[in-house]
Amino acid sequence: MTEPDRSAPPGGALSLASPPTAPAPAAEAPPAARRRRGRRSQRAVRDGRVAYLFLAPWIVGMVVVTIWPIAASLYLSFTDYSLLRAPRWVGLDNFAEMLGDERLVSALGVTFTYVVVSVPLQLALALALAMLLDRGVRGLPFYRSVYYLPSLLAGSVSIAILWRQMFGTDGLFNDFLALFGVQGIGWVSHPDFALGTLVVLNVWTFGAPMVIFLAGLRQIPVMYYEAATVDGAGRWARFRHITIPLLTPIIFFNLVLQTIGAFQTFTQAFVVSGGTGGPSDATLFYTLYLYERGFGSFDMGYASALAWLLLVIVAALTGLNFLLAKRWVFYGD
Amino acid sequence: MRATGTRAAAGLIGAAVLLLTACGGGSDSQDGPVELRFSWWGNEQRAQATERAIAAFEAAHPGITVTGEYADFNAYFDRIATSVAANDAPDVITMGGAYPREYGDRGALLDLAEVSQYLDLGKLDEAATSNGRFDGVQYGVPTGVNSYGVVVNPAVFEAAGVSLPDDTTWTWADFERIAAQISAAAPEGTYGAEDPTSADALDLYSRQSNEGLYTPDGKLAISAATVTTWWEMTSRMRNAGATPPATLTVELGGQPAPEQTLMGRGLSGMRLDWSNRLAAMRTASGAPLVMMRAPSESAGRQPGMWLQASQLYTISSRTEHPEEAAQLVDFLVNDPAAGREILTDRGIPANPEVRDAISGAFNENQKVEAEFIDRISEQVGPPLVVGPVGSTDTRSILERIGSDVLFDRATPADAAARFVDEVTAAIS
Repeated sequence: MTEPDRSAPPGGALSLASPPTAPAPAAEAPPAARRRRGRRSQRAVRDGRVAYLFLAPWIVGMVVVTIWPIAASLYLSFTDYSLLRAPRWVGLDNFAEMLGDERLVSALGVTFTYVVVSVPLQLALALALAMLLDRGVRGLPFYRSVYYLPSLLAGSVSIAILWRQMFGTDGLFNDFLALFGVQGIGWVSHPDFALGTLVVLNVWTFGAPMVIFLAGLRQIPVMYYEAATVDGAGRWARFRHITIPLLTPIIFFNLVLQTIGAFQTFTQAFVVSGGTGGPSDATLFYTLYLYERGFGSFDMGYASALAWLLLVIVAALTGLNFLLAKRWVFYGD
Repeated sequence: MRATGTRAAAGLIGAAVLLLTACGGGSDSQDGPVELRFSWWGNEQRAQATERAIAAFEAAHPGITVTGEYADFNAYFDRIATSVAANDAPDVITMGGAYPREYGDRGALLDLAEVSQYLDLGKLDEAATSNGRFDGVQYGVPTGVNSYGVVVNPAVFEAAGVSLPDDTTWTWADFERIAAQISAAAPEGTYGAEDPTSADALDLYSRQSNEGLYTPDGKLAISAATVTTWWEMTSRMRNAGATPPATLTVELGGQPAPEQTLMGRGLSGMRLDWSNRLAAMRTASGAPLVMMRAPSESAGRQPGMWLQASQLYTISSRTEHPEEAAQLVDFLVNDPAAGREILTDRGIPANPEVRDAISGAFNENQKVEAEFIDRISEQVGPPLVVGPVGSTDTRSILERIGSDVLFDRATPADAAARFVDEVTAAIS
């Protein structure tokens, strides 16, 4: 809590509702307030309690639906748990089993391919469109909303079903190809192309990073460009030496966020492959494999161990991202 | 401070009063209407028939209301697994095959002996009833009797100028040849046969050479050699265009409803499927589909076909109303009023009294199905060996490895070896 809050008139924590009248620090508080110091500390305690009372719903939610399940899954990862019977402690057996699990290897392969291909493509497209919109297009709010819409929809089951139809044998995409005399196949049902359709789906959700890029572009002072232009810098040089360096914090932010998001992809793959990760495990995302082991084969212990491995992988990659960021992210100081 | 204390006390008392009333409300509702949840898989047509049967039950048992829950087959068991795990299982759960053992052995299903005074199994066909009994414990009640065979569309045969086979003598080689002939003569988009690979087809095929998928003591029975021969046949058929291309087969695998199959859309000549789905496919296609015995039934060491409980009604062990749930199951299998709504959609009723009472209401579709079951009942092989715990994974293992064969990513022999290994691991 900040000083001005403590010197606020009686009403304590509720002073949030009324704007602070004097932003003066405590040192400049009127003498009357200083005389009440003893009582004030008592009130501070009460304020603290009130604060916790207001925080309670969030804290309860955090403990019950986040921390408790996380702790439970850590415990379960050391057990053999079939969902319907009580868990049985097996030590490190689940983790030992992972070493020889071929499907885990292919699930990791699918997930890494997806992250490595779709995240850069999505960010590049987001940046390109953000720059296009930043050049002062008329009706910018409209375009911004239209491009942002897919980001809101893409996680939904209905879009995934739509995708499956679109890239099916009798789908819209093949109708389009037919215009050029090309006879398409069932793209989502072919092991070589199924993952590709999901990459396209993820790239299509470029709207969220685009909006952030757009905000970042607006932060770059115009005078830099003007100065560079006077010095004879072309469009590419300005992009390469002004836009990119000043945008690196935003790029970094989007990269971290989208990478984590891509690792957690589930709904799209589940719906498009009918819950199987097929054909031939071509869309067996890590989370899908985890789900299949947990709810398909009733290996909830092993599934919990898989969840923890994913956490470690994502944390390690995010850590690596932050480490590398020191080399390329420019914070202007 | 003082005022706050009083207010807090008042608040506490208020909360306590509310809680107490809530408890009171809870105990009151024990005497009110009992609410049951009943889940099944299937299409819209089945849902409508089942809802009518539920309405008849509610009319006969005022004080019990039943809410139906359904999903298509592929999604159904995912949903059941999550709801059972979340301690939110429906009271009456439809299952099939090895699922009752899978759930029963883990303590999720009620031993029906506990509610025998409400649920009469005495009039049901014994062979079908035994499909719901595992190690002496009755977990499931057969919804009806069905059999796995070949659904044939005579209209497609006729249009292609191919004559119908004689199902007392035909072999798998005939099946292969006829399918290729039809595909060659039929318009584009119509196929001689749909890809026949399924766990049930493998069971049937290997039973003909005296194997079957599982041994009675819960081991894998089918040999890699048999699976290899099977996939060699399906690969030849796909290469010859007798069955659809791989991507279409995979796509169709994700659409299990009868009206979404090529047969249901009038686009294939032959399809291996369950007899209780015949009526739905006849309705969907509008074609006079018939059911035939599987190929090579007389040529093998023994017939591979079998009669079984098409589905099983089970009761959750955690139901709060086991008696009412048992009454619902009893009504569904023993009361002609339910039979008249469901007809043969869940197989030919296992209770002969119900069957006789409703046979007058059979339309052409149901008559064809009933006649088929009658005709084969003397010719089928020994009862099916239901798979052990873990065997419900076989379907997804087969689908996964089967698509490697479809896309030529694995030879039939390699794929067969993997199939044997993975199923063995899943059931051990």
